[in-house]
Amino acid sequence: MVDKQLLKEVLAEALAGGGDFADIFIEEKRNTAIGCEAGKIERVHTGVDIGAGLRVLLGDVTAYAHTNDLSRNGLLEAAGIVARAARGGKKDINLDLQLIKPVVDFKFRDRPGDISTERKVSLVEAADRAARVLDKDRVKQVIVGYGDVTQNVIIANSKGDYVEDERIHTRLLVQAVAASGSTIQTGYEAVGGLCGFELFEKFPAEAVAAAAARRAVEMLAARPAPAGKMPVVMAGEAGGTMVHEACGHGLEADLAQKGLSVYAGKKGQVVASEEISVVDDVTMDGRYGSYRFDDEGVTARPVELIKKGVLSDFLYDRLTAVKDGRESNGHGRRQSFRYKPVPRMGNTYIAPGKTDPVKIIRETREGLLVKKMGGGQVNTTTGDFVFDVAEGYLIKDGEIGPMVRGATLTGNGPEVLRMVDLVGSDLGFTIGTCGKDGQGVPVSDAQPTISIKQLIVGGTGRQEGPDPKIRRL
Amino acid sequence: MEDAGVSLDIAASALSKTRMLGAETAEVFLSSTKELNIEVRNCRVETLKRAEDRGLGIRVMEGGRVGFSFTSDLTPAGLEEAARQSLANCARTAPDPFQQLPESGAVYPCLDLYDPRICQAKVEEKINLAIAMEEAARAYDSRVKIIENAFYQDGETLVAVVNTAGMAVHYRGAFCGISLALVAGEGEESQTGFAFDFRLKYEELDPESIGREAASRAVRMLGARPVATRQAAVVLEPYVAGGFLGLLGPALTGEAVQKGRSLFAGKVGSQVAARDVTVIDDGTLPGGIASAPFDGEGVPTSRTVLVNEGFLQGFLHNTYTAAKDGMSSTGNGVRSSFKGTPEVGATNFFIQPGLPSPEELIKEVGTGLYVTDVLGMHTANPISGDFSLGVAGLWIENGEFTHPVRGVAIAGNIVDLLMAVDGVGNDLKFYGGKGAPTLRLTGLTISGQ
Repeated sequence: MVDKQLLKEVLAEALAGGGDFADIFIEEKRNTAIGCEAGKIERVHTGVDIGAGLRVLLGDVTAYAHTNDLSRNGLLEAAGIVARAARGGKKDINLDLQLIKPVVDFKFRDRPGDISTERKVSLVEAADRAARVLDKDRVKQVIVGYGDVTQNVIIANSKGDYVEDERIHTRLLVQAVAASGSTIQTGYEAVGGLCGFELFEKFPAEAVAAAAARRAVEMLAARPAPAGKMPVVMAGEAGGTMVHEACGHGLEADLAQKGLSVYAGKKGQVVASEEISVVDDVTMDGRYGSYRFDDEGVTARPVELIKKGVLSDFLYDRLTAVKDGRESNGHGRRQSFRYKPVPRMGNTYIAPGKTDPVKIIRETREGLLVKKMGGGQVNTTTGDFVFDVAEGYLIKDGEIGPMVRGATLTGNGPEVLRMVDLVGSDLGFTIGTCGKDGQGVPVSDAQPTISIKQLIVGGTGRQEGPDPKIRRL
Repeated sequence: MEDAGVSLDIAASALSKTRMLGAETAEVFLSSTKELNIEVRNCRVETLKRAEDRGLGIRVMEGGRVGFSFTSDLTPAGLEEAARQSLANCARTAPDPFQQLPESGAVYPCLDLYDPRICQAKVEEKINLAIAMEEAARAYDSRVKIIENAFYQDGETLVAVVNTAGMAVHYRGAFCGISLALVAGEGEESQTGFAFDFRLKYEELDPESIGREAASRAVRMLGARPVATRQAAVVLEPYVAGGFLGLLGPALTGEAVQKGRSLFAGKVGSQVAARDVTVIDDGTLPGGIASAPFDGEGVPTSRTVLVNEGFLQGFLHNTYTAAKDGMSSTGNGVRSSFKGTPEVGATNFFIQPGLPSPEELIKEVGTGLYVTDVLGMHTANPISGDFSLGVAGLWIENGEFTHPVRGVAIAGNIVDLLMAVDGVGNDLKFYGGKGAPTLRLTGLTISGQ
């Protein structure tokens, strides 16, 4: 995209006014999005997005500029803008630009660019049919979304690092709408990975679609979820929204450093039950949140965040690492060249324990079983989080009972992690796009089956027993 | 900003390339923006960002099939690839007879969208606005402990639409805004507060009031605790009411109705909300942050009353959904950026204010919750209208605030919520393009301890 000699000139120009560090992130992103609704291929969209983001750090001040113009003039102009914004002392600068090799490698087999649009369209059509055929009468609407992104980046900085990387993400989302009488329910399923079209060998599109349709149909018979405090079991297959919200965000170093996290200053302290270890491992093969290098060119590595209940590390980018007098652990990520990198999660999970998941359910006298989690949100300062239960069941005397709908779980991160009493031996991943500071990045998260002594369930249904006044609005 | 002529020439060149490759019906949408972002913390600039962003999207229609491709590579080769790709994509979509381009020659509203003060004001002056906001927050209460960030941002945009039906329109707009997020603390406890304001006029920015608002939102939550599960009246602050309005937005589009995704399908003329509720979308609203002379496909924007005194009047449309329903577009073909096609979407979307002040609405509440914050609005289901949310706010007893509340949840359906409105305040406030006054609702289930 841009030759090394020009990059050296641009970095030198960016540091002309002073500064401790400068880097440039050049990106070329090609994407395809195919949408099918009402049994029709509604959209086949493709696009090319190119640009460069330039940054100078001076103490804890960031000057940033970006442009779509990758010509010599365009890049030097952007460098001039950051140079004027950051003036001051200059530290050791090395513009030697040596290629950094990845410590973990991923192979992309079926590159999206090599797969015909026709084949992608056929896959989407097959998913649409599979969802409809599951229940011809009650599946009323199916929405299928296919997307692939091929991102080529060049990252160079004034420490002399030079990184070239390619990231390919492929994903498929299916939403099914089922209706019976006046009841309408939806079911959702998504798969994705840092991989090409080979994703669908592991996760056939038809199976993804059938899972979404089955969930929508079964939800028709679900009763409103109860409201109030109760024990909750989260199944391994439910995904990791809880760990992502309850502790992941609070362990991002920028939030912790600003005092905006309940986990700030708690390194070495007990923040969770002894059963809990939390890891963010971006080196896992093919996961949606995996990468070889982060968006600052730092090599990927697994990071143990909580070890047997004790807080052991935070997620760092370069800027926050300097503030804490340490090295980045490879979590500086950005949505595109339009944004400065910030500490982000990759693949976050609670490490599996030893208990048989079946036993965890059997030992629950009464409570809610979460079989699939939906989206969530957290206030990192208080640790209060909420997430949606996409598929839930009541548990009574160790048996899985009727399905419930409309439940949201509300809790406080550190409080909930202390209330985990059993951790299963399984582990289930879900994918998502995580939003922070207006930037979305691909992530995945996972948990084993765990039981939590009590969480607030925000349902609309009547709880058996105490308060007869609760009713659906 | 560079001369509009350069951008218009690029758009025209992309259209002629698409034509040369064989397209008879095609459209090019181009946007070119220049933005400034300043982030201040502890009265010092932490990040200063300047950005230029230009790109275009090409939409081709052949025999009812639509293909789309975008690019930010505006070199001749980049335009050629986008043109070629939009035609290729066109061949893979299903035909639909209602796909068409709007006609040219429409009359556009005259709007004041470009305040030259925004780009004339010096960067130092803008930095000082952000600092003033921070200082006002700290002066409000000594318990304001941490400034998460204080932002100033502005931008100017050139938007152009050209098509093979002879349309060639463009406009220039500018906006500016400030926002503040902070933390108040007492002992071990921390609470967050924020406020923001976006304007078309630079002189209308008021950093002191934004600073005080953010501080008061955080400070008033100190000491918050859950309440027992119960049924009570609920009063929604304008920001929260606007959040619920946002949940309603998709259901009021012609697209959702045609795809069987709207709660309101087949309900035009019937009552869908309490009589106090009037919902309007107005792309011509003076000073509105989403105001523009035309939408993402060049159709003039307009004022559309969607719900009038509780009764559903109609839906928002773009050219496609209007053609399908045998109507005219309401000028709501909204693009998220040059990377997207014009989808049906809201512009300045708001609930019309009522007569009582918010204080009067609260005074009449025996027992209830004044909701000031919501967690998980994005997990609500826009198709069924079901929501279940974590909420925080202030408890009301005999018309007075008694103590802050957090860690409770409310659940229900948006339609039931609209029917349960029994008071609309006179304090319409916009948060970006969405606006709402204070809303009071009769009994809702509050799930707590």
